[in-house]
Formats: sequence, structure tokens, C-alpha cells
Amino acid sequence: MLRFIARRLLETIPVLFIILTATFFMIRFVPGGPFTAEKAVTPEVMRNLERAYDLDKPLWQQYTRYLRNVVLHGDLGPSFKYPNRTVNEIIADKLPVSLELGAEALLIALVAGLTLGVLAAVKSNTWIDYICSSTAMIGICLPTFVLGPLLVLLFAIRLGWANASGWYGPVDRVLPCLTLGCVYAAYIARLTRGGMLEVLHQDYIRTARAKGAGQLRVIFKHALRGGLLPVVSFLGPAIAGILTGSFVIETIFQIPGLGREFVNSAFNRDYTLVLGTVILYAALIIALNLVVDVVQVWLNPKLKFE
Amino acid sequence: MRKAKSFLLRFSFFIAALFAAANSACTRQGATPDRPQVLRVSQRNEPAGLDPAQASLPDEFFIIRALSEGLVTPAPGGSQRPAAAERWEISADGLTYTFHLRADARWSNGEPVTAADFVASYRRVLTPATAAPKAALFYGVKNARAYLTGQVTDFNAVGLHATDEHTLAVTLEQPTPDFLAYVASGPWIPVNPRVVAARGRDWTRPGNFVGNGPFILAEWQPAQRIVVRKNPLYSGAADVRLDEIDFLAFDNEDAEERAFRAGQVDVTMTVPVAKLATYIRDRPAELRHAPLAETRYLAFNTARPPLNDARVRRALGLAIDREKLVKRVLLGGQEPAGRFLPAQLRPRNDVDLAPAATLRYDPAEARRLLAEAGFPGGQGFRTVELTGWSRSQTPVLEAIQAMWKTELGIGTNIAVREATVHKAALISGEYDIGYINAIPDLVDALDVLKDFATGAPGNYPHWSDARYDELLAGAARAGDITERNALLHEAETRLGEADPVAPLYYNTRNWLMSPRVRGWQEDALWTRFYAGIFLQD
Repeated sequence: MLRFIARRLLETIPVLFIILTATFFMIRFVPGGPFTAEKAVTPEVMRNLERAYDLDKPLWQQYTRYLRNVVLHGDLGPSFKYPNRTVNEIIADKLPVSLELGAEALLIALVAGLTLGVLAAVKSNTWIDYICSSTAMIGICLPTFVLGPLLVLLFAIRLGWANASGWYGPVDRVLPCLTLGCVYAAYIARLTRGGMLEVLHQDYIRTARAKGAGQLRVIFKHALRGGLLPVVSFLGPAIAGILTGSFVIETIFQIPGLGREFVNSAFNRDYTLVLGTVILYAALIIALNLVVDVVQVWLNPKLKFE
Repeated sequence: MRKAKSFLLRFSFFIAALFAAANSACTRQGATPDRPQVLRVSQRNEPAGLDPAQASLPDEFFIIRALSEGLVTPAPGGSQRPAAAERWEISADGLTYTFHLRADARWSNGEPVTAADFVASYRRVLTPATAAPKAALFYGVKNARAYLTGQVTDFNAVGLHATDEHTLAVTLEQPTPDFLAYVASGPWIPVNPRVVAARGRDWTRPGNFVGNGPFILAEWQPAQRIVVRKNPLYSGAADVRLDEIDFLAFDNEDAEERAFRAGQVDVTMTVPVAKLATYIRDRPAELRHAPLAETRYLAFNTARPPLNDARVRRALGLAIDREKLVKRVLLGGQEPAGRFLPAQLRPRNDVDLAPAATLRYDPAEARRLLAEAGFPGGQGFRTVELTGWSRSQTPVLEAIQAMWKTELGIGTNIAVREATVHKAALISGEYDIGYINAIPDLVDALDVLKDFATGAPGNYPHWSDARYDELLAGAARAGDITERNALLHEAETRLGEADPVAPLYYNTRNWLMSPRVRGWQEDALWTRFYAGIFLQD
């Protein structure tokens, strides 16, 4: 297993290098620059700005210099848009917010999704199944930018229990995490139901029942491990989606997370911040996929590390 | 069914428990006389920084002006009032301004505010390595431009001198009647040079920031909120009634409006257009309008046929029904614009421009001009592209498209591009007709009109007219205000006759404000005045 992980980690190095290089040059080919401001500046001011950020140097020189700083010092450079902050600082500041949002949403998604899914599978084709399945279907169909404002309307504006936006106290976590969590809960519920239904009809479950195992024991000890497989393969892309896709939630609730910086940096032509967030997200997604692969082998005896 | 009910019941308990467990660190507050006066203002663009030398957006100056003040400061109505300087004299030849600083002025760290601090601040703005985006607002000062470009390396040659601890002499290149408007502009706000030297690029962070304004920077959570608290050392502290201002970050107008309804924000930046009618009908007391000195216009790429023909440009301008555009499409109280300069920027004692220099709705004349240019009924006219930079502009662009189609028989493609791509295309001249917003830095017609001088960075129509350039150069040289105004009037007339641009409307700011906010004032240039504001239920 260690060899498998080591090899996968080694493979990441060229992947990250290619992503970094491609992003570096692609963002430069986009029209406009970081100083294409609302109001046009005089040529001498533009020259001073470009000199201050080394944009007057040849592109390959900027590239080698950037690469050297990233590889040797882990320094992602100063932000073009926020002159008094570095990309490292911005990421250190905002990533925890996005991670917290994602982790709490995922927790809600797992708890609600698994509960609904298991219930629906065990009581399949009863009214409980119908309620759980339709709830899940509604969750899948309802996009976050509809659900979010609806929850705000109800809990913040009508009932006054929470802020409509912001990320100040614990209470501000509830609505955004619920909004983001609900959508994934719906997917997880459907996947769990499907996986569980398949497993519950397997011979080994019948054997377990025949040996006198109780309903709960059958579900949690025998069925769940197999029934969760589809959920686990879904979790890899789902976590990546939650992290990179938190932009919508962060905008609806005005949360100072990295998802907004990720998108806005491209609009601002904040070259270094674009690169920093792209590399970070790429590394995160690669790492998460690796974790999912490992967990899958652990859960499914049919798979082996190779 | 009972089970389903109990499930629902439990679920709602779960939600309620989530809120309860999370408890309230809510920022909602009411204001009663004995409670601290905390104003919560929505902030649209996260400040790139709070350094007056490096700031460029009005949004940044909203906060900077709460923290520091220049020699003079804008006053509501477009004039200037004393700030760090209590009085000033202008020499008889109009070339030297002598500012006398308030003797009791203190930085928020207790140090006295001196004339040398101002000189050091301005030297910093003009130093090329600072890369100050608004350094051009110093060009009226003798040798300022030369120092910025490195042609002059001795700062003593620049017309900025501290003659004693509290006296600052500013020498100009040439007499400039509206010079005080420049002194009141954002980049002229000083910094404490010792703090900047000691803290480097971190000097604008809370705890480090030292200013000479009514408030002190207490907290800055990027993209979240900036909190400023009353500065007891400020010389005008007696007039400041607010204890604290919270600038809450909202980059989305819908989220902002929801927060306003939830009672989290007292003053918003805008109102979503879709909500305007609802507020007009149901909550008129909360909806505010203020005119802006902003002209929204169409720039014609004069380098591209058929737009290189002035008759074609005029025909396009005359075929737009601005009244309809404002009343039926925009709905926000905007004013139709027949000429480029909005009322606030027109020289004093201004007279109307000649009809040939203004645009009104005249489809018959438009059709005649188009036929004269060789396109009767729009025949042979290629499909031109009309570009904007925000989806919210699509209704305006579509209305113009429809007017040109009906009145002139011309086909138009609409392209909404991302803001930077749009601006880059305007600069490089790779567009046909562009929708543009002109936000002036200060109340000076010359500062706005110079955008259309040959080769000027804001000359998006890529228009060149020797007479126009001459008139502007004359106005810049004119020491006499009457002569200057006459030349500016003539320049605007020239612009109106040649039609490189078609003004559409003068913009309005629409925003939401809680009725408990009293004494709120603003001018047409996005300047905020915090002195008289207080909260009362």
C-alpha cells in the first residue's frame, strides 16, 4: 500500500508542474492586465506599475523567477490586486474558511444523506421510502442559488434567527452549511439507497439473517460497508466540488472564503493569485482522489492496490 | 402518518437546535441614545489597500477619508472646505498656494501633523517606485510630472516645500483656477512618513495604521468587514457623532439587499433593479436617490468605417430616444444626456451648447444624415457590434439596438464581455461601439474632457482633432477663470459637433438607507461626509 501511495505521489509532481505552466501562460494570453483599471492611467504611471511588479521583464524570465520562488521557497508571490498582501497570506487567511464551510456541509450531507438513504432502502417501496426519495429528488433539483436565498428569507428575514450573510459567529455557519450540505445530502441519499438495495439482496445478507442477526446488526455490520461503495467513489469528486464550487455559496452568503478569490482573481487578472489558487486546488483534488482510492480498496475486498 | 409528523417535528427541532447551539454572535444591533452609535455601511469592492498613494477606487476612499484627511477636503455641493489646513493664500499671479496647517492637528499616535509630513507624503506619491495609480492628479504642481518620469531627480525642484512646521507652499506649473479641487482629491491625503518607513507594506493594517482623520482603523477582516472607531485626537472630534463605522463587504447586490432587510446593514451601495419597483411601492422611506456626475456614453471607434464618418456617428446618436431609455428601461431616476458634461461638471455661468453640438431624439434628421453618408434606409451598412461589460446592461443595449433597427434600418450585434476584456478592447481599438461609464476624479471639466485629447489614455474613440487639442491646451494654460471656462465650453462644443461619443444619460445612485440614519450627505463624485451623521430611532 505504501508503494502505491508513494508512486501516486510521485506522479503528482509532473501533473502539478504542467498545470502551473499551462495556467501561467494561459492567464497571460487573456486580454487586459491587472492594471486595466476602471479609469485609464497615464502611460508613465502604467510603466511604473509594470516595473513595480516586474511585468516589464520578458515573459520567460517572469516564469523562471516565479517557478524558482514557488519550488525553492514555497513563495507564491505578492498579489497584484492587493499590494499589501502576499498570495500565501491570502490563502492562509481564506482556505480555512472554505475548509470549514466544506467540512460542515459535508458532515450535514453525510448524516442526512446516509440516514435518508438507509431508511429508504430498508423500508423500500413503503411510504417512508417515498418520502425519503422525493426529498432527495427535490434536493437534487433545487440549485443552491435558489435554496440559499429561500433559507435566508425564512430564517433571517422572517424569523430573524440568523444573519442574512457574513461569517462572524457560529450562527452564521448554519444557513450556508445547510444550503451546501442539502444538495450533496440528496445525492448521497440516492446513492446510498441504490447501493444498500443491491447489497441487501445479496446471499451473504440472507445468510446473516438466517444466522439470526438482528435488523440493526445486519444493516450496520454487514450491509452498510458494501452499500457505501458508490457513496465513497462519489465523495472524491464531491469534496473537490464542495471546495472549488463553494463560490456560489460564498457569494450568496458573502463568506470570505477561497472560492470567491479563486473566481475573482481571474476577473482581476491577479496573475499570482490565480496561479496560487489553481495549484492549491489541483493539489487538493489529487490528494483527495488518492484518499478515496485507498478507502475504496479498504472497503471493497474485490479491489487490490497495484 | 404519525411517524411522518414526528419526523418533521424532529427535523424542525434539529434546525432550531442548530441555531440555538450556534448561539448569537449576531451583529444586529439597535441604536438607542445611550447605546454606542454604530453605523453599518455596505462596502462593494474590497479595498486593494488603504494607502492613499496606492488607492484608485471610490470604494477605497470611502474608508481612507474616514481615517485621514488632506489639506482641504471636498464639501457637499462640489466646493472644498478647510481640513488639515485651516486657511490658505493664493499669490497674485495664481502660481503659489500657501497652506497654513492647524497647529493642534495630531496623528492618531499623538505626533503633530507637520508640513514636512505632507511634503514627504507627496514625494512618496511622485516616486516612480511607489507606482501611484492616481499620480496624475499632481501634474498641476511644478515639475511633478518630470519627477515622476525621472526627468528631474532633485525633489527640491518640485513645487512642494515646507517653509516652516505648519506652512506648506505649493508652486504650480501654470495658474490653475480649479486647483483646490485637485488638492482635495484622494491622492493628496497624507500618510505618516515615519510609520510607513517603520512598517513597510504592512503599515495599513489595524494596529499599525496611523492617520489624521476622524476615525481609527480598528479591524480589517478581508472581504468581511472593516471597522473604524472614533479618533479622540482628531481636531474636529467634537463634530463627529458616530462612535464606530462598520464597512461590511458585499460584492453582490442581492445578498446586500437581503442583509438590509434582515437589519444587518444601515446603508447599502445599490438596489437591485428588479427590486426598485417594490421599494418605490412598499418602502419608499428607505429608498434614496442622488444624482452622480457620471456620464454613460457610447464611444464610436472612429478608426473603423463606417464609424469614421461623422455623419454616421451623429445619425446613430440622434436615433436614440434617451427619454424612453431612462423612463422605460433604466427606471432609476437617471437623466437623459444631450451633451457630455453633467450639470455638476459644467463651468459656472455655463450656457447651453449650440443645437449642432447637442444630441436630441430626431429620427428624421438621423435618417437624412445616414442617407447623405451613403446608407439610405440602412442599405449597405455593415452589422456593427455594440459591446458592454455587464449582463445588467443588456436591457439598455437591446433598447438601443431596437431603436437603430426601427429608425435607421441598421443591424447591431450585442456582445457583453467581461469588464477587463471590454476595457482592453477599448484601449486597443478592437471594437465598433462601446458602452462606457465615465467616473470623474474631481469637479473639473478639463479633467474629464482631456480624455478625448489626441492619444489620451481614456480616448477610447481613438479620435483626434487638432482644434479640440488646442482648445484644451489653451484652457490648461489659462490663468483667468472666465477665459478657461470659455475655452472649455468651446471644446465641449467641438466634441459635440464631431460626435466621437454619444452621451446617453447621467447616472444616479440608488441605495437603501435605514430611516434611523440622520445627517447622511454625499456629493455627485462618490465622496462621503461622515461628520454630521448620527443614528436615531
